Amino acid sequence: MEDFLELTVSATASGCIYALMALSYLIVLRPTSIINFAIGEWAATGAFVGVGVLTTLLWPRLDAPYPVAVAIVLVVLGLLGWAVERLTVRPLVKRGAAVTSPILALLGVLVIFRETLTLLFGADPFPSPPPLGYRRLEIGPFAGAPQQFFIIAVTLTIFAGVWYFFERTVWGRAFEAVAINRRAAALMGINLGRVTALAFAAGAAVAGMAGLLISPLTSAHYMMGLPLAIQGFTALVIGGVGRVEGALLGGLILAFAEQLGARYLPIPSGLTLAFPFSLLILFLLLRPTGLISPREVR
Amino acid sequence: MIRTLVWIAAIVAASAIAFVLGGYATDVYRKMLIWIALALSYNFLFGTAGQVAFSHFAFAGVGAYGVVILSTKLGLPFGVAFIGAMALCALIAFIVAVPSTRLEGFYLALATLAFAQLFTVLINEGGDLTGGTGGIAGYSLPSIFGLQLRGPWYTVVLVLLVAGTLLLLNRLDKSSFGRACRAIRENPAVAAAMGINVRRTKVITFTLTSTLAGLAGVAYAYTDNVINPPVFGLENVFLLLFMIIVGGMGRPLGAVVGAILLYLAPFFLEPIVGHGYLVIFGILVVLAILYQPAGLAGLIDRSLGLLRPRGQS
Repeated sequence: MEDFLELTVSATASGCIYALMALSYLIVLRPTSIINFAIGEWAATGAFVGVGVLTTLLWPRLDAPYPVAVAIVLVVLGLLGWAVERLTVRPLVKRGAAVTSPILALLGVLVIFRETLTLLFGADPFPSPPPLGYRRLEIGPFAGAPQQFFIIAVTLTIFAGVWYFFERTVWGRAFEAVAINRRAAALMGINLGRVTALAFAAGAAVAGMAGLLISPLTSAHYMMGLPLAIQGFTALVIGGVGRVEGALLGGLILAFAEQLGARYLPIPSGLTLAFPFSLLILFLLLRPTGLISPREVR
Repeated sequence: MIRTLVWIAAIVAASAIAFVLGGYATDVYRKMLIWIALALSYNFLFGTAGQVAFSHFAFAGVGAYGVVILSTKLGLPFGVAFIGAMALCALIAFIVAVPSTRLEGFYLALATLAFAQLFTVLINEGGDLTGGTGGIAGYSLPSIFGLQLRGPWYTVVLVLLVAGTLLLLNRLDKSSFGRACRAIRENPAVAAAMGINVRRTKVITFTLTSTLAGLAGVAYAYTDNVINPPVFGLENVFLLLFMIIVGGMGRPLGAVVGAILLYLAPFFLEPIVGHGYLVIFGILVVLAILYQPAGLAGLIDRSLGLLRPRGQS
């Protein structure tokens, strides 16, 4: 039982990371229909920026407190997302290119980001200091690394914020309007370009946070991006692309399936790597709209 | 008549190169030919038919692992193992194609990506059968009808592989099937309204090109006489995709030019910029999509168009 409760904490924490990646896809996908595969590399960039600010990796005197690192990651990634949208996506949308064009261009962006990280930091992983230290933490019957509880708390805060943004603010309603009908939204006076730019900036910031949050558990590593991108997408497909809650639910389901499977199923540990891919295929084929279907247009 | 002569001359010339190259250059030349063969079939799938699939190298892996396992582990004669591997490729491709071609746009890419990753996990975990992470080595191509295909003659086989792939796909491209593929790429609803069976065309295209990838995989298996998982992973699929985008989507010429350029570029760039050549590839891809969607093939057309009087092509 104790074993199971500990597994619950670690699965919830990984599920939160997957959920943040899924949320990053969703923020961009809803108003633009663009699946931005580069967010995995943005998470890696967030991790490296965070490690760079938190330690003396970049500059001997940089040894900043954690909130400063969070702020810098959010700002840097937001700017990067905005710049990528300006430079690669907007010209294609303006020209009326096929929907796949920006997606393919973003694959090029993915490679640019990953290889730039490799050039800057080399192929070795960098340890990232956790904000709450290393001591084992027990809250009621649940026990785990403090970072795991920290991930859960931050993720829930971000989800609450994004949910509030989409459901309760004018800007959030503008996003939703663009998602439902681009043309009609534009005719209603919504600035499509600004919505798209904001979506990329916010998506990049969320992905960067996911990278920063997971880095104390896995180290910042140039190859960390693609697995995160795939797991995040799987979470998105499980939960459904329509709603913010779906991303959270999908992330948790994926992480629990992975970790319970690895712990209790009698198969070699290497094969558990096949889990998310099998889930992704199953959901794509059987229930492509995900578990939570989008709200009906009223 | 003249076209046939040009084809034969090109094949003879490409084969003749094999007999003058040294050991290292032969290796580079052979890998380049295999990349061209893969790029040609991938170009038909992605460029002409518009199916963004990430499973091309997985199918090359099915072909390579299939033929080696059937012939060395199960001891079948090479001819049987070869046919078996091809049949396995076609069967798996068909099974993947039937449900996943229902998916629209980029969702197909992600389903095939999941399949490709699944394949990598399986060959890594296949134990004795697939040799795990180390792969399989220490086998060699048996003699076929008493013929020993060694040295430059094996390179000639690869030249014929490229020529065969090119001929087949060119024929297909110019047939009504090729036009149906293009129509579906541009607008599936309109294509269906014209009486094209969209599902069947998609499934046939995916199965055929994936089986051609398997054929190239078989050829690869006997190039180094060693196969291991990383070759058939995601990294190479990205490179293949980039070759088509830079070369020009939907054009066999583009596939050939793109494959040669991106395969050979690292040999020249690596001494100068080290690993940075991949950044250059990424930038090239973004620039190609933004400013030159027709790729290098489009540039070649335009420069030839300047030389040729108007209205001739």
